[in-house]
Amino acid sequence: MLALREIEKSYPLAGGSLPVLKGIDLNIAQGEMVAIMGSSGSGKSTLLNVLGLLDGFDSGGYDLDGVDMAGLSEKQAARYRSQFLGFVFQSFNLISFKTALENVALPLFYQKVPRRERQKRAMEMLGKMGMDDRSDHLPSELSGGQKQRVAIARALITSPRVILADEPTGALDSTTSTEVMQVLREVNASGITVIIVTHEADIAEQCDRTIRLHDGVIIEDGKSGEVVEPTARGARSQD
Amino acid sequence: MFNRETWIEIAHTVTANPLRTALTGLSVGLGIFILVVMQGLGFGLQNGVQQDFGDEAKNSVWVRTGRTTLPYRGRQPNRYVQMRNEDEQRITEQVVDAPAWSGRRMMWGSTVGYKNEQGNYPIVGVEPDFDELELLPLKGGRWLHADDMAKESKVCVVGENLLDELFKQDDAIGAFVTLRGITFRVVGHFSKNGRWGNSMVYVPLTTMQRVFNGSDEVDQMVLSTGDLDLEGSKAMVEAVDGDLRMRHSVHPDDVRAVRVRDNQEEFAMFDRIFTGIRLFIWIIGGFTLLAGAIGVANIMAIVVKERTVEIGVRKALGATSGSILSLIVIEAIALTLISGALGLITGVATLNAVAPYAEHDYFANPEVNLRVTVTALAVLVVAGAISGFVPALRAVRIRPIEALRYE
Ligand SMILES: Nc1ncnc2c1ncn2[C@@H]1O[C@H](COP(=O)(O)OP(=O)(O)OP(=O)(O)O)[C@@H](O)[C@H]1O
Ligand SMILES: [Mg+2]
Repeated sequence: MLALREIEKSYPLAGGSLPVLKGIDLNIAQGEMVAIMGSSGSGKSTLLNVLGLLDGFDSGGYDLDGVDMAGLSEKQAARYRSQFLGFVFQSFNLISFKTALENVALPLFYQKVPRRERQKRAMEMLGKMGMDDRSDHLPSELSGGQKQRVAIARALITSPRVILADEPTGALDSTTSTEVMQVLREVNASGITVIIVTHEADIAEQCDRTIRLHDGVIIEDGKSGEVVEPTARGARSQD
Repeated sequence: MFNRETWIEIAHTVTANPLRTALTGLSVGLGIFILVVMQGLGFGLQNGVQQDFGDEAKNSVWVRTGRTTLPYRGRQPNRYVQMRNEDEQRITEQVVDAPAWSGRRMMWGSTVGYKNEQGNYPIVGVEPDFDELELLPLKGGRWLHADDMAKESKVCVVGENLLDELFKQDDAIGAFVTLRGITFRVVGHFSKNGRWGNSMVYVPLTTMQRVFNGSDEVDQMVLSTGDLDLEGSKAMVEAVDGDLRMRHSVHPDDVRAVRVRDNQEEFAMFDRIFTGIRLFIWIIGGFTLLAGAIGVANIMAIVVKERTVEIGVRKALGATSGSILSLIVIEAIALTLISGALGLITGVATLNAVAPYAEHDYFANPEVNLRVTVTALAVLVVAGAISGFVPALRAVRIRPIEALRYE
């Protein structure tokens, strides 16, 4: 499904450049549930954004569903984001002046789905998230957990193949986090690939596979319970 | 691009930011409003002055006299200077070479009767050339002939107000009316623009002098300057003025006793004034437009900045740059167009509401110059579109993640 080969990326900096991804090789198969862990500044978000076609990379190769993503035009990238990918952000990123229902329906607008159909599917999706009674609420009228449910509903509305979530529980308390993770597990159970960036061990533990980044390279990659061992190569102490 | 979905999206974002919508609306609407009102007032002034000129021919010189205000050559002031037939004859035969001329004498508030109807109208004695000096479009019958002058015929040409008020259904041509108790035959009628010009009853000057007061007095003289240029007409004015002052012993500085007015010169003067007014309006209008355009540009720049994260979110959800660009540009166009139209409507409504109270000698029909206004509106809409497009282009060009991270 997703294949990264020798991905390198650096940010331009005053008087030079800051390498952030220093040769990432990564394969993620359809239906996996992967956690990306690592200390702050290790490049987790950067990696996820590259995977989500929200950001570019300097060298290496990226195949999404067998198609090379290097040198993709802006329009083609938009099409992949629209059809393959769904995003969940730490800060929810709901559009403030649209209701829950309209937020969920928006990705379908960019797929040119008729309005009636959009509303219907958005309502169904909100129902699945247990949010159908809040459909006409504005984001400002929702709790953090509710906002994230709406955001997940919005990410799922287009039936994407991959959900990319950057610290989806980062702004939530532990009970709500558990609920959101429950939802994401259900999403994954339906066959959708889920990739979650987190620095919470118990979140990573709820995934099947964990990748640990350190200073722009993958230092560990394996079954979740094993990678997050506190003693694992001393990585924990750098968090 | 222009489908219903887009419009719903736009309606949404427009109503979602009422303050921004109000600000844009104000800067554009106010600009157009000021422009419309300024234009209207300018035109009102121009119309008023032009109406005041009436339908006098541009190439005519009007000669009037009054009481002296200065002593001259042993004569006391406050003496009335009266022109007579001999003055007219001398001036037209010896002093100047005018292609057409007419003496003029007026009797205000004269009773005019027809059958059982009667009313008060000014009777004006003129010569046949007069219809070359003032526009009197004939609607029926004929104008006064040289023959009428020679024979001192009791014939008259009436304005259309008399048709309505006296003759009603009857045919006026050939009808007999009494002017101050004396019977005249109507030979023609005319209709001209303006309010009271149509109440006039024109009779031959000779007939008036004979029938009403048996004198040879002439109140005014109108001379055509033909195709003389401003220089030539000025020379003509000076010649007439000098002759009358000499004959009637009027002080050269006495501006009341002898007044010779050159329409051509006055037209030229008003032309300069109007050019000035138009220029002034253009400058004010230009600045108003500029202010409106800058206002829109500012607001759109802020709006796009504020919406950078939203643009990033939309891109993450699969929006193409084109769809975001068109959303913002159409939104900017819709906003400026609607506010501009509102400004135009309120401007026109204001002018229409004010017009009836603003009737004055030098002010009439403050009409709206639609061409200028629509051009102004188009300029603002284009400015709105550009000022939406430029920052939006900048915002959609950056990678989605940069937009998402924007603070
Ligand atoms: N736009 C940018 N310009 C310059 N440097 C950047 C930019 N974004 C990130 N970086 C740098 O790249 C490195 C990796 O950033 P990234 O956001 O991927 O870290 P992260 O692993 O997600 O950290 P965190 O856990 O704190 O979210 C950091 O050192 C950061 O300072
Ligand atoms: Mg991060």
